[in-house]
Amino acid sequence: MEQMKMMLVDDEERFLSTTKKLLTKKGYDVFIATSGAEALEKLRTQNIHVVILDVKMPGMDGIETLKAIKRTFPMVEVIMLTGHATVESAVEGLHSGATDYLTKPTDVNDLITKAEEAFEKRQRLEEKIRVAQTRSFMKSPREIIRDTE
Amino acid sequence: MKEHHYAGLRRSILGSMILVPVIPFVLILGIGYYYFTTSIETSTIASMKRIVEDHRHMIDSFLRERRANLEFILHSYNYDDLADPAVLYNIFTNLQKESSAFVDLGIFNEEGIHVNYQGPYKLVGRDYGKENWFKEVMKEGYYVSDIFLGFRRIPHFVIALKREVAGKAWVVRATIDTYMFNDLVKKVRIGKTGEAYILNVEGIFQTERRSGGNLMDKDPENVKYPSSHSGIVTFLQKDERGDEYCYATTWLKDKKWLLVVRQEKADAFRALRSAGFLIILITVIGGGAIIGLAFYLTGRIVRRMQRMDAEKDELGQQLVRASRLAEIGEMATGIAHEINNPLQVMKSEQGLMEVILSDLKEKGELKESEDLKELEDSIDQIKLQIDRCSKITHAVLRFGRESEVVSTDIDLRDFIPDVISMVENKANVEGITITEEISADISPIKGDPGQLQQVLINLFNNAIDAIVERHGSEGGKLNVGAGPKGDGRVEIYVKDNGVGISPENLKKVFSPFFTTKPVGKGTGLGLSVCYGIIDNMGGVMEVSSEKGAGTKFTIDLPAAA
Repeated sequence: MEQMKMMLVDDEERFLSTTKKLLTKKGYDVFIATSGAEALEKLRTQNIHVVILDVKMPGMDGIETLKAIKRTFPMVEVIMLTGHATVESAVEGLHSGATDYLTKPTDVNDLITKAEEAFEKRQRLEEKIRVAQTRSFMKSPREIIRDTE
Repeated sequence: MKEHHYAGLRRSILGSMILVPVIPFVLILGIGYYYFTTSIETSTIASMKRIVEDHRHMIDSFLRERRANLEFILHSYNYDDLADPAVLYNIFTNLQKESSAFVDLGIFNEEGIHVNYQGPYKLVGRDYGKENWFKEVMKEGYYVSDIFLGFRRIPHFVIALKREVAGKAWVVRATIDTYMFNDLVKKVRIGKTGEAYILNVEGIFQTERRSGGNLMDKDPENVKYPSSHSGIVTFLQKDERGDEYCYATTWLKDKKWLLVVRQEKADAFRALRSAGFLIILITVIGGGAIIGLAFYLTGRIVRRMQRMDAEKDELGQQLVRASRLAEIGEMATGIAHEINNPLQVMKSEQGLMEVILSDLKEKGELKESEDLKELEDSIDQIKLQIDRCSKITHAVLRFGRESEVVSTDIDLRDFIPDVISMVENKANVEGITITEEISADISPIKGDPGQLQQVLINLFNNAIDAIVERHGSEGGKLNVGAGPKGDGRVEIYVKDNGVGISPENLKKVFSPFFTTKPVGKGTGLGLSVCYGIIDNMGGVMEVSSEKGAGTKFTIDLPAAA
């Protein structure tokens, strides 16, 4: 079973470092990014499964980042983190492909629960893809070769 | 400046309200008076003219008849016959049968010697040759004298006629009593002061005047003598006492006598005077009524306008207050949102502290002690306080407009008691008994529990305020009920026995910014927001109330499908 890798994206660095410590202590593999651009950069180099994304950030905001992530890495599950007043943004985020949302201040256990759910969802999805690929492999090996190319 | 504005307004309204009715009013009275005056004057003058005309006709014909009588005698008999006393006696007797006005009859020769006479006096043989009348009749052939008293101190006048045959002339003269005459003219009576009399050219009364003026006296009035020969002249003239008289005059007897008919103007136009008096009375009363009414109505209009302006100002102020409130709300929302970020950090830190602490305990690096317990308690307390802050910020955010609407099925059987429990304390303090009548077979409804709660709390608070205003702190009753209404609808009602709402206010209770509470106590938004919420839920909110008895709000909602 693959270990879940998650990334926290927020402009509040202390929140990132503390939460990372906490999650690491609970046995999770955690990356952090202080901006949307940095997050995209890290996604490119690391195989990250779940992103916890703050809606309100300077520069590239949460929704933009979400769209960029979904465009480039459609398999990555994103959970929006919102100050209550931007629930509309969270809803917009859900429409744009986010898996779930959390309101600040969020408890780390809630965060873990939702991240696990998202991870499970992703794994189910990967499982389906694998099954589908296997089926097509059974049908025509040449096509699979072409697909992988 | 505002007062000045109202004063100007008052002036212009008052002006038009007085002028518009007063102008036609005065015009009608004026025109009526003018035509009435003209008609009265015309008819008065016409009647005077008619009297003058009739009397002239009578007097003229009287004179003409007497003259005709004499002419008949003169031409029926020759001089010798007339000189015979026996014949003359017969003639005179016949003449008196013809007209009793004849007093005597005499015959004169051309020298003026009275040759024959029939009458009460002995005048035969007297010489009248030098008398003016004789000279006149010899010259003109006809003479009518003015009235005079003569030898006999009796008013009379004479008519003399001359006949000339073959160079020999003689004259017949008759004396005519003027009593007939006098009576005729004196009988004329118009109104109180209307009278008629005759003047000669010198202004000597030829008949008595009723208002004073004996025969042969000089007329003190100096009546104007008309220049025209014929026709009737009318004019106004003042007498010696200064009273004004209407006169109608005409010449008689070849411009020798003047027939005068006159009436005191005040008497002639008495009707006019009473009409004038009435018109003035009507003008004063009617004008007063118009002006009074104008003042009253203007006062009312201006007061109403002032009140409306004041209401408008009040509304404007409420709007300003409301928008300020909205601004504050927005600010609070922003602050709450920003506070969530540090709260998030604090929460993470606290979580970390907990984890580290339990790690240390597991590893045995920390011994169980009183201090450790206190530290743990302290960390728990931090968590508690963070949660408390979070609750506050979320409450503020929920209040703000950007809070989300969560639509779920609401079971009113649990929901309403929950909401009631929120206000129960407050109601108990005010001595209000709350009764619930919630039907057990009520269907759930669909809506946002937070919003429905807001609506109910608002209604409860209003009810409590109304009850406290009427009952103080005892005797209040608040009745909350809910039940199915048929047609897949559910009804909730909130009924109180508070002060009630007046009918005019009842129409406005759902209007934004309408409030009966003192300035600063209510925004006037509560019920309008409630109305909007219920409307959004597909429901209807209604109110019925009786001033001094209580109010009932009814919410009609669709049941959840």
